[in-house]
Amino acid sequence: MAVLRSWKSHSVLPGFGLALGFTILYLSLIVLIPLSATFIKTAELGWGEFWTAVTTPRALASYRLSFGAAAIGALLNTGFGLLTAWVLVRYTFPGKRLVDALVDLPFALPTAVAGIALTAIYAPNGWLGQWLEPLGVKVAFTPLGVVIALTFIGLPFVVRTVQPVLEDLEAEVEEAAACLGASRWQTFAQVLMPALWPALITGFALAFARAVGEYGSVIFIAGNMPLISEISPLLIITKLEQYDYAGATAIAVVMLVISFALLLLINGLQWWISRRHGKRNP
Amino acid sequence: MSIEVRNINKRFGNFTALNNISLDLPSGELTALLGPSGCGKTTLLRIIAGLEQPDGGNVLFHGKDATGSHVRERKVGFVFQHYALFRHMTVFENVAFGLRVRPRQERPSEAEIRRKVHELLELVQLDWIADRYPAQLSGGQRQRIALARALAVEPQVLLLDEPFGALDAKVRKDLRRWLRRLHDELHITSVFVTHDQEEALEVADRVVVLNKGGIEQVGTPDEVYDQPATPFVYQFLGNVNLFHSRVHDGFAKIGELEVAVDGHEDTQNAAALAYVRPHDIEIHRTPENGSTFAATVVHIHAIGPIVRLELARADATEYVEAELTRERFRELALKEGEEIFVKPRSLRVFIDPNPAVA
Amino acid sequence: MSAVISHPLSVLPVPASRATQEPAWVRWLLISIALGWLGLFLFIPLAAIFTEALRKGLEVYWASLVDPDALSAIKLTLIATVIAVPANLVFGIAAAWAIAKFEFRGKQLLLTLIDLPFAVSPVIAGLIYVLLFGAQGWFGEWLQAHDVKIIFAVPGIVLATIFVTFPFVARELIPLMQAQGTEEEEAAVTMGASGWQTLWRVTLPNVKWGLLYGVILCNARAMGEFGAVSVVSGHIRGMTNTLPLHVEILYNEYNFAAAFAAASLLAGLALVTLALKSAVEWKTGAELRARNEETSNEH
Repeated sequence: MAVLRSWKSHSVLPGFGLALGFTILYLSLIVLIPLSATFIKTAELGWGEFWTAVTTPRALASYRLSFGAAAIGALLNTGFGLLTAWVLVRYTFPGKRLVDALVDLPFALPTAVAGIALTAIYAPNGWLGQWLEPLGVKVAFTPLGVVIALTFIGLPFVVRTVQPVLEDLEAEVEEAAACLGASRWQTFAQVLMPALWPALITGFALAFARAVGEYGSVIFIAGNMPLISEISPLLIITKLEQYDYAGATAIAVVMLVISFALLLLINGLQWWISRRHGKRNP
Repeated sequence: MSIEVRNINKRFGNFTALNNISLDLPSGELTALLGPSGCGKTTLLRIIAGLEQPDGGNVLFHGKDATGSHVRERKVGFVFQHYALFRHMTVFENVAFGLRVRPRQERPSEAEIRRKVHELLELVQLDWIADRYPAQLSGGQRQRIALARALAVEPQVLLLDEPFGALDAKVRKDLRRWLRRLHDELHITSVFVTHDQEEALEVADRVVVLNKGGIEQVGTPDEVYDQPATPFVYQFLGNVNLFHSRVHDGFAKIGELEVAVDGHEDTQNAAALAYVRPHDIEIHRTPENGSTFAATVVHIHAIGPIVRLELARADATEYVEAELTRERFRELALKEGEEIFVKPRSLRVFIDPNPAVA
Repeated sequence: MSAVISHPLSVLPVPASRATQEPAWVRWLLISIALGWLGLFLFIPLAAIFTEALRKGLEVYWASLVDPDALSAIKLTLIATVIAVPANLVFGIAAAWAIAKFEFRGKQLLLTLIDLPFAVSPVIAGLIYVLLFGAQGWFGEWLQAHDVKIIFAVPGIVLATIFVTFPFVARELIPLMQAQGTEEEEAAVTMGASGWQTLWRVTLPNVKWGLLYGVILCNARAMGEFGAVSVVSGHIRGMTNTLPLHVEILYNEYNFAAAFAAASLLAGLALVTLALKSAVEWKTGAELRARNEETSNEH
């Protein structure tokens, strides 16, 4: 008990041991132990082999596509997400509540369904593809198609991180800026944007992290040509189907490490921001 | 700069916030808009600032119609109740904001901005926290920074919306005296909104008492306190005793007490309300013919320098509150349950506009 | 009263003060761009699913839904969901109880670990179970010797589903229960309630909407998961195909009408999810407003 007291402050509520014990057991069985399997499996390879496996031209091309397209999609979503959040919070128009609810569609729609729907739209004979084809714009079965799919999948993140921040902004702060002679644009750029940056960055990072690992919505529209339109998650599956477990795992480890680094970065950023500006009246 | 408000109307849905308000605010004065919550005082202030558009009427700055001009062009300094400081900017940047957003050709040089901001921070005695963020300041400090920020743009008018409303009692008292001194130094036309009568009476040159979207009285603090124009002002400013009475041939009767009421020489038997402040009540051991009425001492509360008495009228079910100095109380040697005689020193009588059915 | 009559238009509600409002043309331009963006990425794809599904008429649509393979895919999807959602629900409540109601060191780390599955690609989520339970995996030989199939079988699909939906309930509950503090639970305990009674009668009723919200999201993801399940399933028709995998197989066989018919079921599920989610948000919003009014009336 003496040991327990030192890391847990006293409480009259019961059930801490049971709840925490179950939490850690379940977390370990479902997440931690299986995840650690990837690292242990990779260790079988040895450094040289690992490096060769993760730096083949095909693997490098897949990282470039996965991370590049995810970044472009997340950037697009940052800009348009801010705009969408602004419009939903500040303005009124018919059907606003319905639109607001539908923003979460990419969260709710199974990725395979999104994938075939986007393909149906952007295929050369598709809804929009038939109009783009004569203009020389090919979307489906090219890296551009990957960008489209990853943009779809990350669409709600920025909207949903920015929306509550916009709602909580005090109207008084904008009025104060106007009283001090600031134009609407100056108020937006110098007063509102600094308050929105943390949410924008968080939203970007979440959309990016989600898009990097995305599989279902991409494989239908991408065309999956090695070196051109093959994303890293697909390369993992391809290697698995060839029974190259070590190779698949090595690429998985690269993706995991980058994703974890990103997750830590987001958490760190949020912690830093809340420490700097979140402090209330002392 | 003088401000004139002409026939301002403002409604929010079915709620009339301001009903045909006209008001002159002379140059260089510190005016308080005083009233209970929902009386329209903040709306009036926001209309003067240009933060809100009136449905009808005009606002004139120095004789010129400013009703249509944007808040940016009015050159008003506005101080918000909850400070509205920019939380991601340091104190310095907050104060400098109004200078930095000016069009390029009007913008002062960086050195000039630094000089000016430090001058203002010295004025509000907070030069030493220039590099802090608002979240690291106390409420009183934040409000002073908000004031410095508003003054940075050299406003022609300073408008303050419940400037001390969010502060605790001690800080509030210090800060309002400080505001008074600051105004005596700067002599900038200032208007502040408050629901605290003590604050209005202590700080302002003139007090505008508002109620339900209309003006009840405009006057110096002494005027509104000593000669309230309406029953509302009487009740809103300080404690008051209310007696139901009747006015007949120029006299109001309260028990055996008869008081002459000017301007009602021809009024016949009208219901009236008589007001007297607790400290304007004298207590006597013996009756004086026609100028006292009898009462019983119900409770005695000694509160610091004054003694508050609760009295029950002998001839009616009304209670009366009286305040005595400690000396006078000791002289009288009063005890609970004793019968005494009440003599109001100054009494105001208003004809009751909606008399209860007698 | 004259003021009222001379300004009939002023009865209309005034939305925002003019000082902080953009000109009308700016407002409508921004609204148009935002709606155009959402139209391109949300409305058109949604319309495409249902249009393509019904392209060959209702009969074909219905036939592809009652196809035995489709029915067995629906059944497997439901089985995986019925196991995964309650499992993660129990975990979410336990984790939220420990994290929100007690102070202990390492809490931040635990929170980060719970979020981990969101940062892991679904494909990797499938891969890790292959590494453990696959033919060449750690437990592969032992499982084979005891004739237990996990990979390319239902248990693998359930495990992968649990992994990808792992944080949903916990993430909703933890901030909610943290915000509610421990006063009510402490009051219950001082009145002699047991731990279970406190949880069941005080804590859970307070967070019921957040709980439902988490379950709705968890359920949607469980039914729709594709990548992780795809890795562990083996795509055996009528055996280890979930509904999303069924969509893929039909699509790759160029049986577009049937693929979109199955997809339209999942899209319908997504729309129901969004409707429920909005209803819960509206409900909690209404309760919050009512509570705020109550407290403001007390002042």
